[in-house]
Amino acid sequence: MFQLAIRTILSHKRRLMSTVLSIVLGIAFLAGTFVFTDSIKQTFNDLFSSVYANTDAVVRSDQEVETQAGTSRGRIPDSVLDVVAAVPGVDEVMGSVTGYARILSKDGDPLGVEQGSPNFGMEMNDSPSSAWTVVAGRVPASGVEMAMDKGSFDQGGFALGDEATVISQQGPRLFTVVGVVRFGSADSPAGSRVALFDLATAQEFVGRPGQLDSINIRGDGSLDEDALAARISAHLPDGTEVVTGQAMAAESSNQIKDALSFFDTLLLVFAFIALFVGSFIIYNTFSIVVAQRKRENALLRAIGASERQVELALLGEALVMGLIGSAVGFVAGFGMARLLKGMLDAVGIEIPAGGLVLLPRTVILSFVVGTAITVAAAVLPARRGAKVPPIAAMREVAVEPKAFSAKRFVWGLVVLGAGVVLIVVGLTGELAILGLGTVLVFVGTFVVGPLISRPVARVLGAPIARFRGMSGELAQQNAMRNPKRTARTAAALMVGVALVAAITVFAASIKSSIRSIIGEQFTGDFVVATESFGFGGLPGDLAEELGRIDGVAAAAGVQIGGARIDGRDQMVTVIDPAAAAAVFDLGIVAGSLEALDDAGILLSEARSDKTGLGVGDILTAQFLDGSSHTLTVQGIYEKEELAGPFSITNSLYASTGADMYAFSIFVKLEDGASPSAVEGRLGTAISPYPMADLQSRQGYIDAQAASIDTFVNLVYGLLALAVTIAVFGIANTLSLSVYERTRELGLLRAVGATRGQVRSMIRWESVITAMLGAVQGIVVGCALGWAVVFALRDQGFREFTLPVVTLGLVLVLAMGCGTLAAMRPARRAAGLDVLQAIHSE
Amino acid sequence: MLAISPHSADTVEFAAGTRDAVKVYGSGENQVRALDGVTVGFPKGRWTAIMGPSGSGKSTLMHCVAGLDALTSGSVFIGDIVLGSLSERERTRVRRDRIGFVFQAYNLIPTLTALENITLPARLAGRRTDADLVDSVVDAVGLRSRLTHRPSELSGGQQQRVAVARALVSRPDIVFADEPTGNLDRHSGAEILTFMRAAVRDFDQTIVMVTHDPVAACAADAVVFLADGRIVDHMESPTVAGILEHMKGLGG
Repeated sequence: MFQLAIRTILSHKRRLMSTVLSIVLGIAFLAGTFVFTDSIKQTFNDLFSSVYANTDAVVRSDQEVETQAGTSRGRIPDSVLDVVAAVPGVDEVMGSVTGYARILSKDGDPLGVEQGSPNFGMEMNDSPSSAWTVVAGRVPASGVEMAMDKGSFDQGGFALGDEATVISQQGPRLFTVVGVVRFGSADSPAGSRVALFDLATAQEFVGRPGQLDSINIRGDGSLDEDALAARISAHLPDGTEVVTGQAMAAESSNQIKDALSFFDTLLLVFAFIALFVGSFIIYNTFSIVVAQRKRENALLRAIGASERQVELALLGEALVMGLIGSAVGFVAGFGMARLLKGMLDAVGIEIPAGGLVLLPRTVILSFVVGTAITVAAAVLPARRGAKVPPIAAMREVAVEPKAFSAKRFVWGLVVLGAGVVLIVVGLTGELAILGLGTVLVFVGTFVVGPLISRPVARVLGAPIARFRGMSGELAQQNAMRNPKRTARTAAALMVGVALVAAITVFAASIKSSIRSIIGEQFTGDFVVATESFGFGGLPGDLAEELGRIDGVAAAAGVQIGGARIDGRDQMVTVIDPAAAAAVFDLGIVAGSLEALDDAGILLSEARSDKTGLGVGDILTAQFLDGSSHTLTVQGIYEKEELAGPFSITNSLYASTGADMYAFSIFVKLEDGASPSAVEGRLGTAISPYPMADLQSRQGYIDAQAASIDTFVNLVYGLLALAVTIAVFGIANTLSLSVYERTRELGLLRAVGATRGQVRSMIRWESVITAMLGAVQGIVVGCALGWAVVFALRDQGFREFTLPVVTLGLVLVLAMGCGTLAAMRPARRAAGLDVLQAIHSE
Repeated sequence: MLAISPHSADTVEFAAGTRDAVKVYGSGENQVRALDGVTVGFPKGRWTAIMGPSGSGKSTLMHCVAGLDALTSGSVFIGDIVLGSLSERERTRVRRDRIGFVFQAYNLIPTLTALENITLPARLAGRRTDADLVDSVVDAVGLRSRLTHRPSELSGGQQQRVAVARALVSRPDIVFADEPTGNLDRHSGAEILTFMRAAVRDFDQTIVMVTHDPVAACAADAVVFLADGRIVDHMESPTVAGILEHMKGLGG
C-alpha cells in the first residue's frame, strides 16, 4: 500500500507542491529561529570566552539590584586594587569602569539606537587581557583623549584626530579621537556604541572618582582560576566578591542570551502559529482529496483492501508529504536565519559575525514537528476516506454533504468553552495556559465553522450576488454549496486575522490608555523627552537648570532607579518632590508629595493596600552602595501608572552613589508666560543634548501613544507569514474545487459564460471565503483582545478601544488576499477547454 | 441531397451549416481526420438528426458547428455569421445569444434551482428574461411544480426537461442536442422528444440532434448519415426500419 501512496503523490506533483508549501513556511521559520538563536548564542559564547581568556578572576561589588529595568551592580573603592594586587599569585590588576555615555556624530546626532542596545562609556588600557582590539590609532592616554568602537567611528563619520562630543552625567564634553577598536570580531558589541577613556577619565566622566565597577585580575600561573579566586576572596573587604574569568564569561554570555530570549520566544511563537495555520490547510486539502478519491478508495475496498489498509495508504501519503515539507522547510530555514539576522541589523542590533550553527536538535525537531503535524492533520480525513463502502465504486454517491449536526455543534461549543476557561485562567499570568486556551478557541471555532459558514456566506455574498450579476450569484452559491470545505478553507485565514485583530485592539487600547493616563496625571506644558529608560538619559542636574529659565514654574526630572526594599529588588521612581508636585497629579490620598524628604518614601495606594503600610510606618531600603536606610512612609498616591509603586527623592538617591540621570524632564510654565517664548528658551537650553526631544504636552502624549508602534508593526510583519500561508491554503482549495467542477465549468462556458465571467465567479467565491475567515477572525480577535485588556485592567489598561476603521481595513485586506489567492485557480478555470471540460469524468 | 446542399438550395434558408469542413486530430502516425470535407446545411425551422457509427465524426461535426471546437479548414456559419473569423469572446457570445445546448447528462449547474438554470444564459448575458416566454416553456415541459428544486432533487428525466427548457427559452437560432435521450429510460426519452417536436412545431425552432438511437432519430424531420468523417447519406421523414437499413449499410 505504501507503493500506492508514492505513486499517488507522484501523479499529483503540482498539488503536492502547493500542499507541502503550507508546512514548508512554518518549518522554515522554526528551523530558522533555532539556527539563528543558536548561532547568536555560540557567537557570544566564543566572544566572551575570548574576552575573558586572559582574565583569571574578577572582583566586584556584591550589591546587585535586579528589576524589569535591568540589573545594576554597585561600585567598589579604588583601594581594593592594592588589596588584590598584594595577594600572592596575582600578576596584574586592572580597574574597570562602565557608565552611560552617548557619542554624537560629526553632524551632532546621537549615535546608537533608542531603546536598543545600551550606549556606554568605559575605561580602556593596553593590557593584553583587554576586551578591545585596537584596529587603528592607539589607546587613549589622557583626559582629553578617547577611543571608540568601529561602528560609531564609521557611523559618526570620524577620522583619527577629530574632535568628538560625548555626553554623560557630567554633560557634554569634547575629546580627541585617538583610537578605533573592535569587540572581538564585531564593529560594536551587539550594536552598543562605546566611548573609551583612560581609567581616571572614565571614573570622573562616566562613573565616580575613586570608584571602580570591577577589577580584572590575571594570575601569575601558579594557581588555577578557582584556587586564585578562593585566595583573593580571603583578602577581600566587605561588600565585594570575586568570580572566576570563566564564570564571568558565562555570566556575560547569559546576560546577552536573556536579553535576546524575548526575541527568541517571540519567533518560536510565530513559528508555531505558522505551523498551526499550516495544519488547518493540510487537514482541509486531505479532506477534499479523500472526497474526490472516494471512487478510487471504494474500488480498493471492493477488490479486498481492508479499511486499515486504505487508511494507512492515505497516511503514508501524508508521511511522505510531511517529510518532503520538513526537508524543504529545513533547508529554507537557513535562508530564514539570514533574514532574521538582517532584521536585527536593520533595527540596529548588530550581531557579531559568526557561522550559522546547526545543532542536532534543530534537524530532529524540524523533521519530527513537520512530519508529525502533517500526519496528525491527515488522520481524520484518512479515517473518513477509509470508511467508504465498497459499493461506492459502482454507483454515484452524493457529494454535497450535510452541514448541520448536533454532535458537531455540541463538541464545538465544548472545545470553545474549554478554550475560554483556559484563557480566563491563563490571563492571571500563566502564558502557556493562555496560549493553549487560544488554540482551543480556534479549534472550537473551526469545529463550529461549517454550521455557520452557509448562512454567513449567504449574507456576505449577498451584495456580491446583487452587484456582480450572474458571476456574483454563482460565486455566492459556490461558497455556500460545501459549508465544511468553505469553513475549513476560511479557518486558516481566520487564525491569522484573529491574531491581527487582537493585536490591533490591544494596541488601540494601550494607546487610549496611555493618552488618558498621561492626560490626567501630567499637568505640565512641555516635556524634554528621551527614550532612555532605566539606563542613562539626561544629566541629573539639567532639570534644576531648566527650572531657572525665565517663565518656567517647575521642571521635574524623573529617573527610574533600583533599591532592595524590605528584602525585595524594586524599581523606584526618583523625583524632586517640589517640582514633581507641580507637574504631576498623582491623586495624593494621604500625606503629601512636596513634603517628601530624604528620610521618607511615597507608596502607591495599591502598594500600601498590599503591604498594609500607611503613612508613618517604616520600611528598609538598601541601595547599591550597600547603605541601608530606614524610610518613613510620608504619603500615599492613588495613581501609580506613571509613578510606579515607590517614589523617593533625588537627593536621597544621589547620596547612595548612584549615577544621576533623568529619562525625561517635565516642565510647567508660570501663569501668563508665553509658551512660544519659553519653548524657544527651553530649546536653547537643551540644544547640547540632541538625544532629547522638546515636546508640547500634546506632542508628548502622541509620542508616548505611538511608542508601541514599532513592536506592533513587528508583530504585524510576523503575522503576515500566517496570512500568507492562509492565502496559499485558499488557492489550494480553489484549485481542487476547479478540478472537481471541471464539467460544470465546461457547461457554463458552453451555455455562454465568458472567460471573464468564469474568472470573476472564482474570484468572488474566493473573496467570500476570505471574508468569512476575516469576519470570524475579527470577532474572535476582538474577543481575545477584550479579554486581555480586561485582565490587565489593574495594570494601566483602563480603556478598551475598538478601532473600527483599522478593523474595516483588515477586512478589506482579507478581501485582497481572497483576490490574490484566486488568481491562479481563476486563470485555470477560465482557460479550460470547453469541449474537454464537458466530456471530463 | 437537395435540402442539405447550400449550393443548390435557392429556396431553403439555413440556420447553420458548414462548407468543406475538415477537422484533423493529432499529427503524423496518429493523425485522425474526424471530418473530411463536410458540406452541410441545417434548414431553418426543421429538426435534423445526425447519425453514424462511433468515430464517424458526428459529435465533432456538431461541436464545430456549435462553436465549441474549431475546424482545421473549411468554414462554419450560424445564420449570417461565419464562426471562423471570430475571437473566443465573440464565439462565446454567439453561443450565449444564438445557440441552445442539451447534453447527454450533467446539463445543469448543481447550485442553481431549476428556474435559475433555465434563465442562466439570459442572466449571463445580463438580459432580463421574457417572463411570458419562460412561463409558456415551463408549462410546455411540465415543470411548474419543480421550479425551486435543485438538480439533485430532480429525476433524470426532469433534469433533462430543465435542460431542454433552458435551451429553448432564449429563443436561439438553433438548438444543438447531443444524445439528449441517451441517459433516460424509454418513457422519459419519449417525453423529451415530444417537447422538442412541439418546439419545432410551435416556435419554428431549428434543432440539430446527434444520436445513435433510431427511435430518437425518427422524431426528426430528416436524418444525415456520417461515416469516416464524410456525409454518406440523407433521409427525409425517417422511419426506424429505414434508419436501421441505412445503418446496416454503414457497418454501424
